[in-house]
Amino acid sequence: MPVFPKGEAVAPAGASGRDTSEPKAKQPKRRLRASALIAATAAAVLALTACGGGAEQKSADGKVELRFSWWGGDKRAQLTQEAIAAFEAENPNIKIKAEYGDWSGYWDKLATQVAANDAPDIIQMDEKYITEYSTRGALLDLSKYDVDTSKLDEAALNAGKGEKGLTGIAAGINAATILANPAVFQAAGVALPDDKTWTWEDFERIAAEVTAKSPKGTYGAAAYGTDEASLGVWLRQNGKSLYTQDGKLGFEPSDIKGYWEFLKQMSENKAVPTASEIVEAEAAPLDQSGLATGKNGMAFWWSNQLPALEKAAGGELQILRFPSKTGKAEDAGLWYKASQFWSASSRTKHPEETAKFIDFLTNNVKAGEILLADRGVYPNSEVRDAIAPKLAKADVKVVDFIGAIKEELGEAPAAPPKGAGAIQEIIKRYTSEVMFNRLSAEEAGKKAVDEMKSAIS
Amino acid sequence: MSAIGELSTMTRRKGPMTKEEKKANGRDNKAAYIFLLPWLVGLVVITVGPMLMSLYLSFTDYNLLQPPEWVGLDNFVRMFGDARLHNSLRVTFTYVLVGVPLQLAVALLIALVLDKGLRGLPFYRSIFYLPSLLGGSVAVAILWKQIFGTTGLVNQVLAMIGIEGPGWISDPNTALGSIILLHVWTFGSPMIIFLAGLRQIPNMYYEAAKVDGATTIQQFWRITLPMLSPIIFFNLVLQIIGSFQSFTQAFIVSGGNGGPSDSTMFFTLYLYQKGFGQFDMGYASAMAWFLLVIIGVFTAINFIASKYWVFYDD
Repeated sequence: MPVFPKGEAVAPAGASGRDTSEPKAKQPKRRLRASALIAATAAAVLALTACGGGAEQKSADGKVELRFSWWGGDKRAQLTQEAIAAFEAENPNIKIKAEYGDWSGYWDKLATQVAANDAPDIIQMDEKYITEYSTRGALLDLSKYDVDTSKLDEAALNAGKGEKGLTGIAAGINAATILANPAVFQAAGVALPDDKTWTWEDFERIAAEVTAKSPKGTYGAAAYGTDEASLGVWLRQNGKSLYTQDGKLGFEPSDIKGYWEFLKQMSENKAVPTASEIVEAEAAPLDQSGLATGKNGMAFWWSNQLPALEKAAGGELQILRFPSKTGKAEDAGLWYKASQFWSASSRTKHPEETAKFIDFLTNNVKAGEILLADRGVYPNSEVRDAIAPKLAKADVKVVDFIGAIKEELGEAPAAPPKGAGAIQEIIKRYTSEVMFNRLSAEEAGKKAVDEMKSAIS
Repeated sequence: MSAIGELSTMTRRKGPMTKEEKKANGRDNKAAYIFLLPWLVGLVVITVGPMLMSLYLSFTDYNLLQPPEWVGLDNFVRMFGDARLHNSLRVTFTYVLVGVPLQLAVALLIALVLDKGLRGLPFYRSIFYLPSLLGGSVAVAILWKQIFGTTGLVNQVLAMIGIEGPGWISDPNTALGSIILLHVWTFGSPMIIFLAGLRQIPNMYYEAAKVDGATTIQQFWRITLPMLSPIIFFNLVLQIIGSFQSFTQAFIVSGGNGGPSDSTMFFTLYLYQKGFGQFDMGYASAMAWFLLVIIGVFTAINFIASKYWVFYDD
């Protein structure tokens, strides 16, 4: 993957004609040198300006052009493009240029763009990175511009506030869930669990039963341990948290030890796949995930991913609460998470127009009718009510679930501190170390906590 | 090599140049520079410039979002205590020290077979060269993932004879081996160079050896190998330099994280993660210069050692 395409250094076509050998240039030497200098300067200037692109976004006819980048799949791209079109129809002087791609490449690209002073004006942000970017002054304080936040749910609004002001506005509300594929349960002849009363022991037992009664290669559940959401739930159920309010790590090695020990036990009992299969599953995109392909009875996903997963699975899925230690739903320790944020680059040349677009996405019913629940449940209660009749069946399921758990929620977790972007990778790596018997859960806990501490310090 | 030798004698002039000649020469040079300009600009703007910048950044704490801060040798000192970096060095050295000799041995073997005047040689040559064109690409790395997956082609074949294979690329014990195999598979470019080298060996040596009753194996050890040693040396230097910089295969096969358990965490991959994943570009730059030193040392050792085994037939 060359950072600089080699082709750029190649001479333009035509410069390599056969005339090169003939001393055709009959002008005096000095002229030649001058022209060479001019050519060199021109080329250098051109190359330089190419690097600093994005500095001038106003096109000749007075139109303002904004760049808007997000991560997500095809469905999201299509919906977002439609929303952009609706905005442009209302604001003919503003043109929005879309830049989108997969989650995996998104953050590398954004970091490079910001470093090169070429950040998009509107940035879809994640809670893992928002502190990283905002404390370093890369994001605009939206409270200083005309974005109406009066209709937003308080929790969603607070999630975007930090020491540098309101640097993100929640695009949707999410919850960590377990999604179940009823078809897999049915084929195995196992009843779906009652998610209001189940415990982790039930989870393991049911998953192992599905595995035992299913064809080889199908497992009752996917493994956790590849992201921080499941660890967050686990810690909250044990009275700890991922992070503390003052931006430190909220748990000790002994707390994470149990998380891995239980995972390992489940893998040995075939409730979840083997170590190798877990590693392979990590890399699969959403539509090839174990849940979508019918290889897993249950898996760990965010609530807003249900519609896309149903589409990929070609059948209905069911949303389940996380199991708890006590068998009481209110002890499951769930919380509302801002699925994504709308943020703006602090270096945007057009903060007013940028704020206008974010306001449109947040508060305009038309935008809501297009975007629906793709980025989670709408945090603006008015829009949420207005679009309710338009929601598809899958979306309704998500909205209902988010409503149903409202009374069971635990305390809102502390915002991830600077450097939290590295935590997921650390969890993943040490999960492998434990699963492949390279480290005991205890050693892994110590090492992981050390590494996490230095990552967020 | 002889071709380079010829070139140098061609350019070396007998007697001094006349004034006229000098003038014409100067004019030619300028024209040459103008035609070289696009390349020169590219070199300065996208190679030398960024290199100097990264040298500066290696002495700074630079998080991409805020201006770099001078920290002196801090980044280099930190490398001594970075266990993951040490692991990445171990992985990279294993890859180079196992992968390169294996690949060259396969390349030489195939070249020897093809050199025997096979019918349809151009066809076979192209076929064998194909992996080299594809090998560094993303597509092949993805293909590799499929072939060596838990339920991939390799394990399906193994299952037929009753062996349950591991997840070759998802098991930390075999993941690096799978990537080394991918590297060996791209033996095409050294093979082509070997083929050209084999053609250069005068037939009279073999004829003389045959007359003296030398076996094919003796001919290989006593004639082919010494005569080919400059080519082997050339390939060795190139492949070692290239292999230290390998990135794509590990990046794709491991899904960008060098996993499982850092078993495919190449030095370059770790550098990339540090720079773009963890916003530690100062450290990443320092790593890049450290890699340059490593490659420099290896190349120097190579050149020194070459005095003892490379045979030039001038």
